[in-house]
Amino acid sequence: MSVRRRLGLIGLILLPLLLALGAVGAVLFARQGGFAPYNVPNGGASDVPHDAATLQRGEYLARLGNCATCHTARGGKPFAGARGFVTGYGWIYSTNLTPDVASGIGDWSLPEFAHVLRNGVSRHGVLYPVFPYAHFAALTDDDIAAIYAYLRSLPPVATSQPQNLLEWPASWRPALIGWRMLYYRPDTSAAASSDRGRYLADGIGHCAMCHSRRGEYGSLPAEGYFAGGPIPWLRWYAPPLDSAQLARYSEAQLAQYLRAGQTDAGAAYGPMAEVIYGGLHVLTDADATAMARWLKSVPAHAPAATQPLPAMTEAVDGAAVYRRVCADCHADDGGGQSGRYPALRDAVAMTAPDAINAVRLVLYGGLPPTTAANPQPYSMPPFVYRLSAAEIAAVVNYTRREFGRRSSALTAADVEADEGIVLE
Amino acid sequence: MNVRGRARRFALGSVLALAFGAGAGAAEDLGEHLRACAACHGEHGEGVRGAEYFPHLAGKPAGYLFEQLQGFRDGRRANRQMTWFVEFANDAWLHTIADYYAALPPRTRAADTSAPPQNAAQRALAEKLGRDGDPARDLPACSACHGTNLAGLAPGVPALVALPADYIAAQLGSWRAGTRQSKAPDCMQQIARALKPDEIQAIGDWLSHQANADGVRPAPAGSFALPRPCGAVAATQVTP
Repeated sequence: MSVRRRLGLIGLILLPLLLALGAVGAVLFARQGGFAPYNVPNGGASDVPHDAATLQRGEYLARLGNCATCHTARGGKPFAGARGFVTGYGWIYSTNLTPDVASGIGDWSLPEFAHVLRNGVSRHGVLYPVFPYAHFAALTDDDIAAIYAYLRSLPPVATSQPQNLLEWPASWRPALIGWRMLYYRPDTSAAASSDRGRYLADGIGHCAMCHSRRGEYGSLPAEGYFAGGPIPWLRWYAPPLDSAQLARYSEAQLAQYLRAGQTDAGAAYGPMAEVIYGGLHVLTDADATAMARWLKSVPAHAPAATQPLPAMTEAVDGAAVYRRVCADCHADDGGGQSGRYPALRDAVAMTAPDAINAVRLVLYGGLPPTTAANPQPYSMPPFVYRLSAAEIAAVVNYTRREFGRRSSALTAADVEADEGIVLE
Repeated sequence: MNVRGRARRFALGSVLALAFGAGAGAAEDLGEHLRACAACHGEHGEGVRGAEYFPHLAGKPAGYLFEQLQGFRDGRRANRQMTWFVEFANDAWLHTIADYYAALPPRTRAADTSAPPQNAAQRALAEKLGRDGDPARDLPACSACHGTNLAGLAPGVPALVALPADYIAAQLGSWRAGTRQSKAPDCMQQIARALKPDEIQAIGDWLSHQANADGVRPAPAGSFALPRPCGAVAATQVTP
C-alpha cells in the first residue's frame, strides 16, 4: 500500500472522529453560554444613581451576598480583597472591590460589572468558580446597579493583588473553559421567580455554595440542589436545606436563626456563623421570613441511610462523660436551656451523616456570632484540653446515637485525625 | 432622725440595694456567657493552676484586654484557639468581655515557685533593664511604662507581676518574630527586637519572681506619662 493510500485510509477513520468530537465540543460550548461570556464590555466608570436610598439598598445587598466576607483579608481594609482560600488545587486570593483604578474596579463600567457578576468572566480572564457567578446570574439589573453604586461609594484602597498559588492545569485560566463546558450550565430561573425568598437564597445569598451536594471537580449539579454535604476543604458539614431538615424550626424560628444566629432549635457555628456575622444579620423581617419560607418549602431529599444501632461496646462510657461535662448546659435529655444553650436533640451535628461538626465543636468549642438580636451570645468551652480523644469519641458517639438516632462508632484515632483548627 | 428622714434613707438604701443587686446579677450572668473563656482562664479569670501557660485575665486593664481580643480577631495576635472564638465577635461584645474581666479582683500570687532560681549576675542584668533600661540602646525600663511596682497602667498597659517566666519569654519571642503585634507604633516589638535572647530569659525569670501578694491593681489612667508612643496604648488611653 502506498503511503498516500495509507494516509487516506487513516483520514477516512480520523475525520469523522474529529468531526464528532468537534460537534460534541460545540454543543458543550454552547451549553456553557457560547461566546457571549467571553465578550467582556468595558468603557470607563458609569454614572449611576447614587442617592441615599440606592446606596442603602446596595449596601444591604452587598451584606446579604457577604461580599466583604470573602473580599477582605483578616484585619484588612473592607472590600480590598487578598483573603486567601484553600482549595484542592491550591490557594486563590480574593480581589479588590474598592473603586481604586489600578487595583480595584475604579474604571469598570456598570455593564462590565454586571457581565462579570453574571458570567464569571472579567477583563482578567475566566474566573474560578469560588466566585458564585452561577448564583449572581439571577440578580436583577436594578440590584446589580445598586451594588455597583454602593461599591463605587467606598473609599478607594490601593493594593497589590497576591498571586494565586494553583497547580497546573488549574493555574491556566483558559482551562476553566473546559470546566465550564463540562460542568457549568447558566440558570437564571431564580431571577424569573416571583418568590422573594428563592431570589435571595439562590441569587445574592448563594446558599448552594455550601448547602448543595457537589459533583466532581467542585461542580454543582442541579440534582444536588440543597442536598447538603461536606463543605469542600473546610472540614465542616453543611446540612440539606429542605422541608424535612428544617421541620424542627418554625418559619419564625428559622427567620430568627438567619438574623440572630441562635434559636432554641440551633445555634450558628463555623462558616454559618461567619455568613450571619458578615451579612445575614441585617436581613429585614420580611426578607428573613421570605427566605425561611422558601427554604422550608424545598422538597425533602431522601434521608441519609440510617443503620441499625449496634450495642455500645466502648471502653469509655460516653453517657458518663455526657453527664459529667455536657448535661449542665445541654440537659440530661439533650433538650438544652431555652435562651441559652441549644437543644442537641435532632440538631444537625447529631443527625448529620458526617460527625465532623460534632467532633470539632467538642474539640474547640464555639461562640455564636454577635448580632443585634443576640449581642452577648453564650459560648461552648473547648474540651480538647480536658478530655482524651477516646472520651471525645465516646461522648460524640453517645450523643449522636441518643439525640440524633445515628449509628456512630468513632474511635480515638478518628477524633485525632480531625484535630487542628482551620481558620482559612 | 425623724420618720421622714428614716423613710428617705430606707428608700435610698432600697434603690442602692436594687441597683447593686441588678449589677451583681448582670455580672453573674456574663460569667455564664463566658464558659468558653473559663475553660482555660479559670471561673473568675484567675488562670489555671498547673497549666501556667494559660494567663490570668482578672484585674488586667480593660483597654489591654480589648486590644488582645481584637488582635486575635484581626490577625495581630496568633493563637488559633483564641481566633476561633472571637472571629465573629464585634467590638461592643469584646469591650464588654474585657470590662468584665478587668473588674474582677486581680490575681494575688506569691512569686512563681516553678521559675528557676537566678544567679546574682542574671538578677543584676534583669534588674538593671527592668528598673533603668539601657539608654545607650534606646531601651526604656520595664517600670517606665508598666509602673514602678510593675502593676501596669490603666487602661492599656498590663501588669508584669504574677506572670510565669515561660509566658513572658514566649511573648517577647513572639514580638521579635512578628507573630504577636500591636497597633503601630508597636513599641513592644521595638523593645523585644532590641533585647538579646539571654536578656529575655533573665527578664522573664526575674519578673516571675516578682510577687503580687496584695492584688495591686494597675495605676489609674494618666498617673504617669509613657516614654514613647505605643499604638495599642494610644488607641485606648483616655486623656483626663
